[in-house]
This record gives sequence, structure tokens and C-alpha cells, in this order.
Amino acid sequence: MTAWRAAGITYIQYSNIAARVLRESLKGPLRADAAKRDASHVKFTPWANGKPAQRQTSQ
Amino acid sequence: MSFVKNARLLAARGARLAQNRSYSDEMKLTFAAANKTFYDAAVVRQIDVPSFSGSFGILAKHVPTLAVLKPGVVQVVENDGKLIKFFVSSGSVTVNEDSSVQVLAEEAHNVEDIDANEARQLLSKYQSELSSAGDDKAKAQAAIAVEVAEALVKAAE
Repeated sequence: MTAWRAAGITYIQYSNIAARVLRESLKGPLRADAAKRDASHVKFTPWANGKPAQRQTSQ
Repeated sequence: MSFVKNARLLAARGARLAQNRSYSDEMKLTFAAANKTFYDAAVVRQIDVPSFSGSFGILAKHVPTLAVLKPGVVQVVENDGKLIKFFVSSGSVTVNEDSSVQVLAEEAHNVEDIDANEARQLLSKYQSELSSAGDDKAKAQAAIAVEVAEALVKAAE
């Protein structure tokens, strides 16, 4: 077993780190564009009585 | 007695399997990442991929395989003999019976798009992060980043 797997890191998490480091190493203009892919957002809209109650955004 | 019979049955089955395999002389590559599609069922000559089970080259008629990609350089020899290098972060590679190959990466870029100086700076940044990491998890995360940065420096040379 690899060291990272033993430390409880999954391949998905490994993949995320690897992708981030690759994005950070790109040449100037490409890097700025690639950095946008670093963050992901999830938007939750709970519904009550058939209407959206409030909006929450989490990173 | 029954051993001879079984052996004969197995041999017959093996022969049938070999006949049924629809191997193709052409290899069709689909190479895509979240950021870009590089090849879409394009006919290529050879593909070299870095994987956790070792780096390997794929030609047409390769045995069907599944492998997990390691951060490193994927080399594609196009049909006209042109060699193109890409850096992949991670992902999977599938080699099918009909000689189609799928390389799916989380992030992939032309090797020329890597900034060699930036890669070296990242390497020292994550090396110091590794030495100052507290717990096992932080250490493992920094070690992954160091591994990727080392591969990037090597690829950008």
C-alpha cells in the first residue's frame, strides 16, 4: 500500500492534489484560466410548502 | 481420464475465444481531460502511459487492460510518426478488445505549456511543506504534491 493510502487518502483526493499542482505549474495566462477550475460550488435550495425557502452556497 | 477430457475442452474453448476476439489493426485513441479533449477516436500508432502498475506502451492488438494513471507524461505517436507529449495529473486508461483506447485524466496539458521555473518553485515549496507537516495526513498530502512537482520538473526539462 502506498503511504498516502495508508494515511487514509483516497485516489479521488490524490487526483485532486495532482490536478491542482499541475494547474499551478502552467505558463502565465493558462494558469489564470486553469485556477478557475480549482474551486467548486454547490448550491442548496431547501423548499418549503412548494416554494424555495432560502439559498445557501457552499464551497 | 477426466483430466484429458477437461484439457481437451479447455483447449477447444481457448481456440474459440481466440477466433472470436475482434482484434483490429488500427488503434483508436480517445484522450480527454476535464479541461480539454485532445483526441476523439483518432487513429494513432502508439501510446505510452504512466500507471501505478508501471509505465507501458500500447500498440494496436494490445491485450485488454485497465490501469490507474500516475502523474507523468503520456506520449502519443500519431499516424504520421509525430510524437506529442502531454502531462496528466491522474485518471484512468482503458484498452479494449477492439483496440480502442480511452485515456481519461482529471487535468492534462501539453508538456510545452508547463513553466519549468514555476515547477521548480512548486517543488521546493511543497518540499518545505512536507518537512513542516504535522500529522500523517498532512504529510501524505504534501508528499503527493512533491511527487507531482518532481514529475513536472522532469517533464519540463
